[in-house]
Amino acid sequence: MKKKVISMLMTLMMVAAFAVGCSSDSKDSDTETTAGETTAAAGEETTAANAEDPGLQSIKDAGKLKVGTKVDVPSFGLQNTATGEYEGLEVDIAYAVAAEIFGVTPEEAKEQGLVEFQGVTAKTRGPLLDNGELNLVAATFTITEERKQSWNFSTPYYEDALGLMCLENSGYETMADIDGAIIGVAQGATTKDAIQAYIEEQGLDIEVEFQEFDGYPALSAALSSGNIDIFSVDRAILAGYNDDTTKILPERFGTQEYGVATALYATELTELVEKVVTDLINSGEMDTMISGWGIE
Amino acid sequence: MVKGLFNISRWEEAFAHMDTFGEGMLMTVKVAFLGLLVAVLLGIIFGVISTTKVKILQVISRIYVEFFQNTPLVVQVFFYYNGLPQILQAILGTSRPVRLSKLLLGVIGVGFYHGAYIAEVIRTGIEAVPKGQTEAAYSQGFTKIQTMRYIILPQTLKLILPPLANQALNLVKNTSVLALVAGGDLMYHSDNVVSGSGFLQGYIISCVLYFIICFPIATLVRKLEVRSKKTPTPKKMKTMEVA
Repeated sequence: MKKKVISMLMTLMMVAAFAVGCSSDSKDSDTETTAGETTAAAGEETTAANAEDPGLQSIKDAGKLKVGTKVDVPSFGLQNTATGEYEGLEVDIAYAVAAEIFGVTPEEAKEQGLVEFQGVTAKTRGPLLDNGELNLVAATFTITEERKQSWNFSTPYYEDALGLMCLENSGYETMADIDGAIIGVAQGATTKDAIQAYIEEQGLDIEVEFQEFDGYPALSAALSSGNIDIFSVDRAILAGYNDDTTKILPERFGTQEYGVATALYATELTELVEKVVTDLINSGEMDTMISGWGIE
Repeated sequence: MVKGLFNISRWEEAFAHMDTFGEGMLMTVKVAFLGLLVAVLLGIIFGVISTTKVKILQVISRIYVEFFQNTPLVVQVFFYYNGLPQILQAILGTSRPVRLSKLLLGVIGVGFYHGAYIAEVIRTGIEAVPKGQTEAAYSQGFTKIQTMRYIILPQTLKLILPPLANQALNLVKNTSVLALVAGGDLMYHSDNVVSGSGFLQGYIISCVLYFIICFPIATLVRKLEVRSKKTPTPKKMKTMEVA
């Protein structure tokens, strides 16, 4: 009995010590941020561990630009299963950035393999940027005010809307029909909030339930196995999963803009990315690339 | 990301989701409780029939145990999740796949999986009591049922309780497999909180909550282990009823 009491006390003490450790530490960093003002949320990490901007030199030294893209979004970021190559609009943007850094043309950057791609999901892209695993992320990353607190975003290069995809035989024609439906969304995405906002805005009298999944293939499988009624994500991504058993409802809503994200501390890289993206937009090159990939 | 663990505003934000965590914990407890009932029931049935002399029953029990012990729980649950609705649709002839509730999915998942382990626990428990005990009981004039009730089962029970409680403990933790199929359990909700915010705090809170469920069971396991090792002391005899 005595032993049990002691062991329980020790456990409690450890938990308490841990909690105290956390709170006192965070108070310090809190005051720091109040002084710095704009640096919020993820800012602390940068003030402490990664305060130094590694600059472009570190990328040049490494000889490779590390980029996170989607691997499962046709026309944006898709890994070709036959060749293992990454292809899509966002992949081309990454090559354009690498070209600027290494002083070559985008074609040369591609030939010389100056970009090292890594597949990311809505859930993993933020943390991978934070811990320096990736230099930049171009992965259908929607710009939001909240996210701007944690990462730097370039000028948007594409504007997309959300869509709702259901099975062909579901009997849904418009959003008004989906009362009681289970909507599957991707973890860490903005979709859920956008759908709720749209329902309220339109004054639709429907109740829906959300379930969050890790990755689009899982969502697609859940839709075809009948576990969810609707698969909702950005229309650009939906298009890649739409086949003859499914259909996309007509509603377009939750317009959102994709930007290239960089870590807050990477000031030099952020400036360069911004320049590359705005140059591409201003020269009309971006429109050519977008239509070249067959994106509406 | 790790540095952010020391950020109080992130803790506050994570704690703001406490009702979500509570909802998940409730689901986890429900799945674990009902799953354990199913597992014990299946375990008793298959454990007992594997000790009978009937060959066919032994074979059935063996197949069940080997199948569930030698395939991963995750694969089983994915199969139930993606396959069962369509199989039921085919069997029942409905127009759409028959959707299973996440609670049912979880109970079937952990129930069948741990049922196999519990069946083994019960089988070995019954087989572990030396045959001499039965013979001694008979020689003292115990009937078959009395032998089971007063001699064999008390010894079996003492032997199997620690591994049984251990199975219960693992069962609770294994309910987290539901997170992979949007099951609404504690892990699912904490994973959503973490991926929504990008802060690791959600995982720590969920660990603490799992700990709260599991620690008492682990303590029970230890207590039972100690008890099962003790040599039994004779009970004070009441006046024996004359049979």
